[in-house]
Amino acid sequence: MKIQKLLLLVTLVGVCLLLLTLQTRGYGAAARDALTMVTAPVQTGLARASRATFGLWSTYLDWKNVRAENHRLREEVQQLRVRALRVDDTDVENQRLRRLLGLQEKLPLTTLSGEIIGREWGGWIRSLTVNRGRGDNIPRLSAVISPDGLVGRIVDVRPGASIVQVLTDPASTVGAVVLRTRTPGIVEGDPRGTLRFKFMARDGASIQSGDVLVTAGQGGLFPRGIPIGTVRTIDNRGSALFHFADLAPAVDYARVDEVLLVTGDTQRDLTAFFPAGG
Amino acid sequence: MRGLLVLTVAGGSVAHATLTPLVSVRDVTPDLPLIMVVLLALRRGPEFGCLAGFVTGLLQDAAGGGLIGVQALTKAIIGFGIGVAGERLRVSQPLVQVPGLVVLTILEGLARFALLQIFRFPAPFGELMIYVVLPQAVFNGFVGAAVVLSLAASQVVRERFAGLPS
Repeated sequence: MKIQKLLLLVTLVGVCLLLLTLQTRGYGAAARDALTMVTAPVQTGLARASRATFGLWSTYLDWKNVRAENHRLREEVQQLRVRALRVDDTDVENQRLRRLLGLQEKLPLTTLSGEIIGREWGGWIRSLTVNRGRGDNIPRLSAVISPDGLVGRIVDVRPGASIVQVLTDPASTVGAVVLRTRTPGIVEGDPRGTLRFKFMARDGASIQSGDVLVTAGQGGLFPRGIPIGTVRTIDNRGSALFHFADLAPAVDYARVDEVLLVTGDTQRDLTAFFPAGG
Repeated sequence: MRGLLVLTVAGGSVAHATLTPLVSVRDVTPDLPLIMVVLLALRRGPEFGCLAGFVTGLLQDAAGGGLIGVQALTKAIIGFGIGVAGERLRVSQPLVQVPGLVVLTILEGLARFALLQIFRFPAPFGELMIYVVLPQAVFNGFVGAAVVLSLAASQVVRERFAGLPS
């Protein structure tokens, strides 16, 4: 038994040595070819299987990387969007301030710029809070304007802030004229948040939709010629003494951010200084 | 069972040439056929170890493209030697088998180098030992440990299931 084992070992060692000797003498090609015929197909199959497996794995890794990258890029896009919005916002604010400054410079009035810091937008009261108050010597009932037209008037002056009654406030009334026909009337605030022009039927016979209304400037509070709104529809009440017209306000009160407070002389005609009024 | 063993030996040695590059660490690959030959020889005795070593070595030589017969010879001797040692010494403990694998890898490297010298095949000894044989021996130790432990675990599970009443 022991000899058999040794014989096996010696035989195999002998075969190996023979193979090695043959190869070093240049006769090993046939043996190598024969072995390759056996091993090559198995290797091919295994290589394909491993490639498929690792291909799947690398596809998974790629997918994972793409997912992570996608997440990162989404965050980056989000940040860039926020930054772009900030830039847009700054740009819009810049334009608004330029317009306001331009108006302030060209108006023949003493004005003070102010920033809207609060809004009361319920149906009962429609007012804005502006960051100019008693310390700025703001007189009560000062006119408040924007580059688009009249916003309202100061109704309460407090330390550091003032309350502006907006034209759409139900308690607000302003003397106005139709720019084209010079028809006089009163612009009132409406509880629905709109403006209406109340005028005598006899005087307003020729008022049309699209007519521009400006301040009349007769009460001494508002300078003359500040745009208030545009006639949208006319409510013809037949033989009634007064007729009404719905107005589209010249100013978007909900979005106005900067205003001018007229603090000095108000006896001037400003029609030429507002493009909407001309 | 014998067919499965033949398939394991033959397939494993060819798989070595194809698949081990994929599990290489810094260009060092484990010698899976050597691990397989050692473990088989310990369980099946010197004849099987010798034959398995010869076949795996031969196929490794053919797949690797070197001198055919070098690894067949070294692995056949190792398979035989380990088979004999397994019969006479207590080598069933993982603490013996794993360092044994490291030592055997180094011995196989030395034997291979000696054969290459005899057959006038150029091979620098120092670089081969430092960059190929010794790292491979360490790698074989780790892989061998994993294989031995998983075999032991599977043995425990098998025994537990065998003990259950049917």
